[in-house]
Amino acid sequence: MRVAVSGLNNTDNPAPGIPVAKSLMDKNNLIGLSYDPNEPGIYHGLFEKVYLMPYPSLGYEEFKKRITDIKEKSNIEVAIPTLDAELPLYIKYQKEIKEFGIKTYLPSFECFEMRDKSKLPKFSKKLGVKHPKTIEVVSLDDLIKATKEIGFPVMVKGNYYKAYKAYNLDEAIEYYYKISNEWGFPLLVQEVISGIEINFVGIGDGESLVAGVGMKKLTTTDLGKVWSAVSIKNEQLFSVSKKFVEMIGWRGAFEFEAMSDGKDIYLIEINPRFPAWVYFSTMLGVNLPQILLDLIEGKKVEKRFDYPSEKMYVRYVEETMVDFNKFSTLISKKEI
Amino acid sequence: MLLNEMIIDENNMGFIPSLGTSYQLNESAKKIIKLIKEGKSKEEIVKILSQESGKNWRDVYIDVEDFFQKLKVYGLIK
Repeated sequence: MRVAVSGLNNTDNPAPGIPVAKSLMDKNNLIGLSYDPNEPGIYHGLFEKVYLMPYPSLGYEEFKKRITDIKEKSNIEVAIPTLDAELPLYIKYQKEIKEFGIKTYLPSFECFEMRDKSKLPKFSKKLGVKHPKTIEVVSLDDLIKATKEIGFPVMVKGNYYKAYKAYNLDEAIEYYYKISNEWGFPLLVQEVISGIEINFVGIGDGESLVAGVGMKKLTTTDLGKVWSAVSIKNEQLFSVSKKFVEMIGWRGAFEFEAMSDGKDIYLIEINPRFPAWVYFSTMLGVNLPQILLDLIEGKKVEKRFDYPSEKMYVRYVEETMVDFNKFSTLISKKEI
Repeated sequence: MLLNEMIIDENNMGFIPSLGTSYQLNESAKKIIKLIKEGKSKEEIVKILSQESGKNWRDVYIDVEDFFQKLKVYGLIK
């Protein structure tokens, strides 16, 4: 298949696009969709063509112009968006995108909204899983009230990106400005749960959980991004992920982030896409991006939850060299 | 009880498959964990270890009690 993949940043704050592309490269022709010529993944040699995309904030009309242009030039059959910032657009206009001849495998907008961070307190109750106390804040006054109610330490989180642990009001205010200046409002102030962070990546077919893999982070970067991890099999995490898909009819990839205190599971967030560590699942023998494509093609897909635990995932740095001309061409012509 | 799922490898590293946590064990820890998994009580474990080592029951009890506290702190037993 001719598959377009976004999210080509591959620094120490990696996007999921390169792991997705690596999972699909053997059986598919890949087209890269990039927002910045500096994204290292452009130069890995994984893509037949790479196109620069307009920022999602420019709206649907700009997106439509570009994606139909790319369809015409590279005849892409499928698009796999992997970035939080672009997902609302792809999800909202998935019917229109299908009409352009580009298939996606995404949840409905209602499902997408349901797992929004600000709605998790209610949603976790429906799921029957615990959730750290969370208060939405839109002003400094709200922040002060929220920290008084929850007590320090607290997590100060953006609604889409970034999360910092604050041990006192000074730190909380610093993070409040840091996140809101970059990502806007609302912010969330959340109780800190002590325990072990465990994650599950899976795919729902709109009715049931099709496949998935669990892991625990061993080391992270300063931004909290996984650098090494170990595969795990946690029955509670699996059950609640399965329930999540079945209860709301989730269609597409997701990542379920949770904390475990050894007894209970606390839902931290549900990301509506593959995580950047999804290539771990491929290496474990559960190629989730390929399973997603098989579902798009309407193939009969067998449920896949069998993988070895106690396997270690290790990221490392790699270097490459390309003609500078590639970079300059991408800037000037918006494609290479 | 998380301890029941602990897998111990040839390097005496104990691994909990549901949480991905690991613990370096010495021979005594490995032995006590094996006895706990067999369903032995703390008192039975103390008796077995003091008989095997020929050490005073009270000294062994203090060490075993200390180890049980550590297992509790790590959330491996209730």
